[in-house]
Amino acid sequence: MVMMREWRQIFSRKLYIVSMVILPLFFIGFFLTLMQDGLPKDLPAAVVDMDQSSVSRRLVRQLDAFKQTKIVAHAKDFSEARKMMQRGEIYGIYYLPENFERDVLSFRQPKVSFYTSNSFIVAGSMLFRDMKTISILGSAAVERELRLAKGQTMEQAMIDLQPIVVETHPLGNPQLNYAVYLCNVLLPGLLSVMIVLLTVYALGVEVKEMRSRKLLDMVDDDILSVMVGKLLPYTLTFMLMATFYDVVLYRFMGFPCHNGLPNMLLNSLLLVLASQSLGVFLYSLVPIMSISLSLSAFITMLSFSISGFTFPVGEMPGLLQTWANVFPLRHYFLIYANNGLNGYSSYYVWGSYVAMLLYLFLPILVSIRLRNVYRYDTYKP
Amino acid sequence: MKIIHYFWKQVKEGLADIFVVWRDEFSLVIHDAAILMLFIAAPLLYPVVYSLIYSHEVAREAKMVVVDQCNSPETREFRRMCDATPDIEVVGLCANMQEAQEALRRREAYGIMVFPRNFSSALANKEHAYVQLYSDMSSLLYYKCFLLNLTEVSLKMNKDIQIQDMSNATGREEEIATTPIEYEEVAFFNPKSGFASFLIPGFLMLLIQQTMIIGICALAGSIYDKKQYHVLEPIMRHKRGSFRIIFGKALCYMMFYGLMSAYLLWVIPWMFNLPRMGDPWNIVAFMLPYLAACIFFGMSVSVFIKEKETAYVLIVASSLIFLFISGLSWPAAAVPWYWKALSYFFPSTFGLQGFVKINTMGATIPDLQTEGIGLIVQICVYFLLSTLVYRYRVMKACA
Repeated sequence: MVMMREWRQIFSRKLYIVSMVILPLFFIGFFLTLMQDGLPKDLPAAVVDMDQSSVSRRLVRQLDAFKQTKIVAHAKDFSEARKMMQRGEIYGIYYLPENFERDVLSFRQPKVSFYTSNSFIVAGSMLFRDMKTISILGSAAVERELRLAKGQTMEQAMIDLQPIVVETHPLGNPQLNYAVYLCNVLLPGLLSVMIVLLTVYALGVEVKEMRSRKLLDMVDDDILSVMVGKLLPYTLTFMLMATFYDVVLYRFMGFPCHNGLPNMLLNSLLLVLASQSLGVFLYSLVPIMSISLSLSAFITMLSFSISGFTFPVGEMPGLLQTWANVFPLRHYFLIYANNGLNGYSSYYVWGSYVAMLLYLFLPILVSIRLRNVYRYDTYKP
Repeated sequence: MKIIHYFWKQVKEGLADIFVVWRDEFSLVIHDAAILMLFIAAPLLYPVVYSLIYSHEVAREAKMVVVDQCNSPETREFRRMCDATPDIEVVGLCANMQEAQEALRRREAYGIMVFPRNFSSALANKEHAYVQLYSDMSSLLYYKCFLLNLTEVSLKMNKDIQIQDMSNATGREEEIATTPIEYEEVAFFNPKSGFASFLIPGFLMLLIQQTMIIGICALAGSIYDKKQYHVLEPIMRHKRGSFRIIFGKALCYMMFYGLMSAYLLWVIPWMFNLPRMGDPWNIVAFMLPYLAACIFFGMSVSVFIKEKETAYVLIVASSLIFLFISGLSWPAAAVPWYWKALSYFFPSTFGLQGFVKINTMGATIPDLQTEGIGLIVQICVYFLLSTLVYRYRVMKACA
């Protein structure tokens, strides 16, 4: 009964459709097209080649051949390149000194320099890696020529150059795909923002439009059936969206999901329910809609940083490490990383499952308060 | 004489109208706890929390376990050198791979370094000796720590090995033969590659825009909801009345955000030791158009908001879109053209880029042509749009 009434309300207002369906669809479309290449490629860099010799030009060509580096300019001197960097046109500068070729050939150990702009850290660190690699490779190439000239075989020269080789195995995300790294938490996080906000709104609008008393009368003051009836339509709709997200990410895009789709769907369901519970809790705590909406906004937006999927929680100050556990998205991330990305047994994140379930008690905790609000409160803007 | 008199009257009336609108808006703001939360509490507290989250700037002592099947002087040396780097901490030696993987599952470590049984014999026989690095990818930052430092350590050890092999050469010859080309790496603007130094300046600009838009939309929505737009009718009926309304309101928001900007852009970077390369006057000169663009943008967008509360539901989540589209979290060069085109509609795109350039990279106003022109175009367009929005709403309320 309450549920039918809620469905009617949902379909009577554009706001619900926009925030439950249209915006979430836009989010997934936006982030997947933004990161369609997985890694940013062709990041602009400039070269200052004071030597203009065949050796220096070869080095520059090799640098340009890296997928993530694109030489967009040959500056005539360093200050010109630096100006370009300051204007944000390039993220890196590769500097080859005068007499580079001559010094290499006569063993005078010339020095190349590279400069990266770390005010944009992603681009800066990617260019840094390419420029460092080319410097080491360039050095190795010269050395290899020397050793070959001394009569060593190619194979032996390579081994002498690099006796110890580091082989890397990035577990779960071998291509270092940024879309895998970011989207799998960003998108559910955005959904969670919408859920918390809309839950607060859906609860508050009853008081605002003075329908809450009638609603309580309808079910003989049984606040739990009000909550369930009111919130179930949102649970269903948002779960539908979350399922869509999971299918697109893990089936269509093929992002790592080692323990199977049902396992991720369970995780999504827990996030949907936890977010709704958080919404109920916040509204009951401060039953002035605009203020509880502000609070919800601060908390949910903070969860992107504090959940630790970009900057690890272990590196935050101690107090914040503890508080991170209060955010549903933190547990969603831990469960996803454990089950989806790494394919470990759920046993290792049992704590996060318990935390997710604990959120479900929040609404019960504040149910009496919510009933009083519905019974006696009037709308305050 | 008559013309001057008329003109003078117009100016006086205009200023009086602007004052009335400003005063009413100001009293609306200070009597509304929710708006005060947006205009004052959020800018005061939010940056502090964010700066604290990222205050360590970089990952230090990423935890790693070692499986050493060779256990020779060489592997012990390699281990010791890794542990000595500031970025890696070897937290344990595991007997086998199973034990090491278990440590990863329990999140006691984020990486495994494996030396195979034949590591030292391979070195002795002049074959490649492999070090295997396994890294948990739930944090890219730890992976980067492992990769960079292991590479560095291996380069150093390789050089030592080569020098040992050339026992008959002199020191200088060895040096040159192992590194024919030297290199030097310099990280500009944010030498520590710190997260706070990189993220917070942009975040502050975004915070200004977002709290402002939500606030302006919430105010506009609540007037609409309470059907009070007709109050503005007398002023609207004056010549250029809608200009006066827009100016009056904008002045009110400008006042709040002028103060908050001083706190956000001056006190916060000072408190958390973030980059402060910018000249204060350049920052002021850049912030005025940015704030104006944000205000008029907010007033234009408010046409979609018919209720105070919907402002939050519809706008809050857009912050992340703005963050990624503006070229901070995702390099601008890698943003597809269609999203880039869209990004020019938002003040945050220019504001964020411009402020990072001034504050972090020490640019001056003449370096910011793109951003400056972008913001000025936005100011003009959104100013005209917002006069239309308010005229439409007031007239509708009176009809």
